Amino acid sequence: MNIDETGIGCVKNSSSSASSGRNGIYLPGIEERRIRKWRKMIGVGGSDWKHYVRRKPLVVKRRIRKGIPDCLRGLVWQLISGSRDLLLMNPGVYEQLVIYETSASELDIIRDISRTFPTHVFFQQRHGPGQRSLYNVLKAYSVYDRDVGYVQGMGFLAGLLLLYMSEEDAFWLLVALLKGAVHSPMEGLYQVGLPLVQKYLSQFEQLVKEKFPKLGEHFSEEMVNPSMYASQWFITVFSYSFPFPLALRIWDVFLYEGVKVVFQVGLALLGYCHDELIKLPFEKLVPALKNFPEDAMNPDVLLPMAFSIKVSRRLLELEEEHKKRNQGMLQQSTSSAKQKR
Amino acid sequence: MASTAGGKSSNAKLVLLGDAGTGKSSIVLRFVKNQFIDFQESTIGAAFFSQTLTVDDASVKFDIWDTAGQERYHSLAPMYYRGAAAAIVAYDITNQASFDRAKKWVQELQAHGSSGTVVALAGNKADLIDSRKVSAEEARRYAQDNGLLFMETSAKLATNVSEMFSQIAKRLIEAQPAGNPSGTSLLLQTPSSTMPRPSSCCSSS
Ligand SMILES: Nc1nc2c(ncn2[C@@H]2O[C@H](COP(=O)(O)OP(=O)(O)OP(=O)(O)O)[C@@H](O)[C@H]2O)c(=O)[nH]1
Ligand SMILES: [Mg+2]
Repeated sequence: MNIDETGIGCVKNSSSSASSGRNGIYLPGIEERRIRKWRKMIGVGGSDWKHYVRRKPLVVKRRIRKGIPDCLRGLVWQLISGSRDLLLMNPGVYEQLVIYETSASELDIIRDISRTFPTHVFFQQRHGPGQRSLYNVLKAYSVYDRDVGYVQGMGFLAGLLLLYMSEEDAFWLLVALLKGAVHSPMEGLYQVGLPLVQKYLSQFEQLVKEKFPKLGEHFSEEMVNPSMYASQWFITVFSYSFPFPLALRIWDVFLYEGVKVVFQVGLALLGYCHDELIKLPFEKLVPALKNFPEDAMNPDVLLPMAFSIKVSRRLLELEEEHKKRNQGMLQQSTSSAKQKR
Repeated sequence: MASTAGGKSSNAKLVLLGDAGTGKSSIVLRFVKNQFIDFQESTIGAAFFSQTLTVDDASVKFDIWDTAGQERYHSLAPMYYRGAAAAIVAYDITNQASFDRAKKWVQELQAHGSSGTVVALAGNKADLIDSRKVSAEEARRYAQDNGLLFMETSAKLATNVSEMFSQIAKRLIEAQPAGNPSGTSLLLQTPSSTMPRPSSCCSSS
């Protein structure tokens, strides 16, 4: 992951109201006004939030798409993901998981701790506060859901969250996402067989064909499928190997609107580089799909493109198709298993 | 993709398999960029690299898939080893469980991979001799019994990494049927056909 220096600065000063503009330009007047509006919308400690969302959902959506002010991001993420409610409903549970339970995944987690955002100052220090809290959150989750346990990739989710909130808050946000507090649960990303990864990839493949027919055809000719480049987009919600400033803006929208923004951003990336990609042979195409040009990484360029790509309806339809296909396959395999017996 | 003078040039798809943290990405990074990073980010999904190697007067362009090691990602692996000309199965000499896992990968390649795939077993982190848990003898015997190339490697110290790729290249070139370059070999002569293909044993075409 490319670490943006201003990203780090902002993150670690998240209590200060000064924040850099969205292009890294310091815009005191505009930025302060924006933060004031946001504070009013949230209320003290989030007290007015629900009320505001109910009254003016479209205003909230529009403001979130423009980016949550960095100093309020941690709080707002907890409000929009539903994790704040989980935290309040489960006092003491996190502590119990961290301190008293043991997890079968402890060694796996330790193996990966220093391999998660290894160049980020917060996680760099061996056994430092960053690494310790990352370990605790992942361990707690692996106990909380022993079936899922710890899966590589979760660390990037937890790591991103820890830049903006406490361990306990990050844990409950992870729970809210994976168990589906406000959107559909995403634990299938990490369950055996990675069922949700498979579903998202099949939906994405179809969307590529429909939105960019020429590129879709080129992919088929070159035998490139989305598993080769997009699985990490879904598994880590763009927190792996994307610049922080872009990842954060995606997460703002992702937590409020759900996973469809991952599809939209993925499609926007392909759209942005469409004319180059279409010329490349396999061995240049795959690297290009993992390494987009810097100008495509500008959230203020990429996100408006992403929002202009409409996917909601098709996603639902494709989900149905995927379900049917899977059921068909399941029946086939159980009936063939019966025949064998 | 011009051929080298007098020699031939070909493409080979190569896949790295093995438990998480055994050093697959580090081996590739050493081979492709001659670098080593102490804290290599774990691989999510799979990563792709390509690198050309010249052995004698022939050159082989490796298209390399570096996969995620954790068991949970197993279901993504077949598309990377299917149709591969070569596979490197890595384990960590300081970790017995990673050697057991390597054997599982070898079995899986034997059962579901392409019959001509050249498989190399890499006992990585050979620099950590003080913490050795898997003896070189045991691994060598296992490799011999299963017809695998075997080397202990250190991506950190650059020991045996390029050697391993050279040996793989040599085997691939030897396996190439003379006079019939596009025969059954998985070493592909056309630069554009390095993408995953259905394995010869299962495809109907
Ligand atoms: N001492 C030593 N350490 C190594 C060697 N090769 C890799 N490592 C270290 O082992 C850790 C894991 O290496 P990776 O190359 O990321 O392992 P991987 O097999 O790609 O792991 P996954 O991507 O998680 O499947 C890193 O911290 C490396 O620095 C080696 O030859 N010697
Ligand atoms: Mg790796």
